[in-house]
Amino acid sequence: MARVFYENVYKRWKETVAVKDFTLEIADKEFLVLVGPSGSGKSTALRLLAGLDSISDGKIYIGDRVINNVAPKDRDIAMVFQTYALYPHMSVHDNVGFGLKLRKMPKDQIHEKVLQAAQVLGIEPLLDRKPGQLSGGQRQRVALARAIVREPKVFLLDEPLSNLDAKLRVQTRAEISKLHQRLGTTFIYVTHDQVEAMTMATQIAVMNFGVIQQVGTPQFLYDHPTNVFVAGFIGSPSMNFFEVTVSGDADQVCLVADSGMSLPVPAKKRRALEKYRDKKIVFGIRPEDIHDPDFVPPDTEVAPLDTAVEVTELMGNEVFLHLTHGENNFLARVDPRTAAQPGSKMELMVGMDNMHAFDPESEQTIFSPEEEEPESPRQPKRSPATGVAEGAWITSRESAAPGSAQPEAEEEGKVELDKLAKEEAVTEQVAKPRGVPKDQADQD
Amino acid sequence: MKRGPYPAGPEDDSRGNLQEEALEEEEVRDEKEGSPEYPFGPRVAGEEGTAARLVRAVGRGPLHAVIIGISILWMVPALGLLVSSFRERQAITRTGWWEAFTTPTEFTIQNYQDVLTGQGMGTAFINSVIITVPATILTVMVAALAAYAFAWMPLPGRNWWFLLVVALMVVPLQLTLIPVLRLFADLGLTGTYWGIWLAHAAYGLPLGVFLLRNFFVALPKDLLESAFLEGASHTTAFFRIVLPLSVPSLAALGIFQFLWVWNDLLIALVYLGGTRDVAPMTVVISNLVSSFGTEWHLLTAAAFVSVILPLTIFFALQRYFVQGLLAGAVKG
Repeated sequence: MARVFYENVYKRWKETVAVKDFTLEIADKEFLVLVGPSGSGKSTALRLLAGLDSISDGKIYIGDRVINNVAPKDRDIAMVFQTYALYPHMSVHDNVGFGLKLRKMPKDQIHEKVLQAAQVLGIEPLLDRKPGQLSGGQRQRVALARAIVREPKVFLLDEPLSNLDAKLRVQTRAEISKLHQRLGTTFIYVTHDQVEAMTMATQIAVMNFGVIQQVGTPQFLYDHPTNVFVAGFIGSPSMNFFEVTVSGDADQVCLVADSGMSLPVPAKKRRALEKYRDKKIVFGIRPEDIHDPDFVPPDTEVAPLDTAVEVTELMGNEVFLHLTHGENNFLARVDPRTAAQPGSKMELMVGMDNMHAFDPESEQTIFSPEEEEPESPRQPKRSPATGVAEGAWITSRESAAPGSAQPEAEEEGKVELDKLAKEEAVTEQVAKPRGVPKDQADQD
Repeated sequence: MKRGPYPAGPEDDSRGNLQEEALEEEEVRDEKEGSPEYPFGPRVAGEEGTAARLVRAVGRGPLHAVIIGISILWMVPALGLLVSSFRERQAITRTGWWEAFTTPTEFTIQNYQDVLTGQGMGTAFINSVIITVPATILTVMVAALAAYAFAWMPLPGRNWWFLLVVALMVVPLQLTLIPVLRLFADLGLTGTYWGIWLAHAAYGLPLGVFLLRNFFVALPKDLLESAFLEGASHTTAFFRIVLPLSVPSLAALGIFQFLWVWNDLLIALVYLGGTRDVAPMTVVISNLVSSFGTEWHLLTAAAFVSVILPLTIFFALQRYFVQGLLAGAVKG
């Protein structure tokens, strides 16, 4: 059980930089998911912690110990590989017990521990089989058993679900979450699938181009993406983006576009947009915030938008509308009772309370969670080097030294987040994570 | 370095098999790039090998005709040799071997008795075994260790060293005879088994390291990394993970080296000398040729005595031979 801390870590291959100025604190018992597209450096970051690749620059701590020069086997970690990496010539029992055997544990004790681990994962009947005789899901469990049997301080999981079929993936996802609760150990989980990140994580770190884009709880990342990349990456179907111009005066601010779009901005969002008056911004709206006019949730500030419906996709509990407005193609997720027909024109309601806006140059968000909550004492800090928003969810470098007063800052952040979440729940009827439809995994 | 001719059977008979195995290796390699298929599981249905595509393109009939034709071309002379080895001396000089079947009474095992007792083939057989077995084991052992280092241990300029080893394969063996012989003379190794074991091992190593290294490199990286994370040292990883998974390629190299040493005449003659008590069968047979220029009945029998052991080993392990040979060689 331990905290993991990356301090300004770099990984350079000859000419490319795989991981750039990576600073991240993972609290004890956290379930951190590193998520990003392929090539974003997330696996490299994990391998640096495992000791499979060497750290070019910076330090990594497990607990209070710098582990840069500690051999992988002495780091007290266990890793589950994407390919499971089971030893094909050994039985499941020997696979699980291999690490213990190398630690010179007596045989009967190994047997006992292997049985315990097998029980946790329900693979007792398979102990005498060889990996080749197992199904994908069973192999996956064996790999997990092999990791937990050594009782490490930190679990590393590198895309462990990507080789499973969709149904099994959903099932195993829940089981890994359960395992995490049961073991109470720090989990670090790498995936390219934002659904896995949203469903399993207590904290998500979104990566792109070797740089952390944003760190926070799933709900926070969903509600307050810090830049266009995170906004588009978290949530599925992903956020719609429009290029619009901010126009109007202090009392009436509208987002307008040549296509005839004119969306009034709610009062609490106006202040942040003031300095963008008559300038272009990127306006983002999630598909679930575009409503059928007949089924607008109460207390939602909406603005009408003329659209042409191209395709409708009935998902059962909701309908995806593929829409066009001017030159923009976008997606709405509306109530299944909608009257929308393919090929028809329709006026939809855009829930402006949940609008997002980004600077077109920097692609950073224009709103910050604190600015929307004027009573909040906190001001956002921005790291000049990475552009990563440093709220309470990512440690600032000075306060990050081992044994510092970090937990308090985190508490504070949590409280604030809870407050945010509560307000959400009041204004929105949909209280629970909206970004995670149940059928998500089947769509991948 | 030139190698003796190896029995040609499998090359022709099992080509299909050969290439399918190669494809399976391909899958193992894909694993390294993160392909989702588990490398050692059953093959996925619906895939088609090169062999299968070839069969479809050409059609079964002509392909079989060619394969059978080549096999017959190889088998007939060998069969003639076998039949001749059981015929009497006069019969061999008088008529062709195919006429033996019309007068079955001609067959005799006298030739074998003469060769084994009178010509010292019995002792030579044992000498051959004494030379070949340690030389083979030594080569496989050292090659496997070196190959592991080339494949998995970080070493500055590792690939350049490996290239150097591979380059040694093209150095003609004859070029080394005099320097090595002088070295052996200084060390007192000429005419000893140790000398010839070391010489054979050294000549066999470049190919051995090359084959095994390429096989080891193709093992899924995750397997070794996982072992290292679990606390394995390089020694443990080598003995517990790499060796058990590389049995086919080890067997292939073993057979290769065994045949090469067994059939070798030159090295034995140069480093061991031609004396009776240490001479392997190749030396004895070559002496038969010079002293009994026309004694075909003895020559044919001696040839078959020398071929029995390699044939037995080959048939016993041919599955590994075919599989492992391509396993290492395809990956360059």
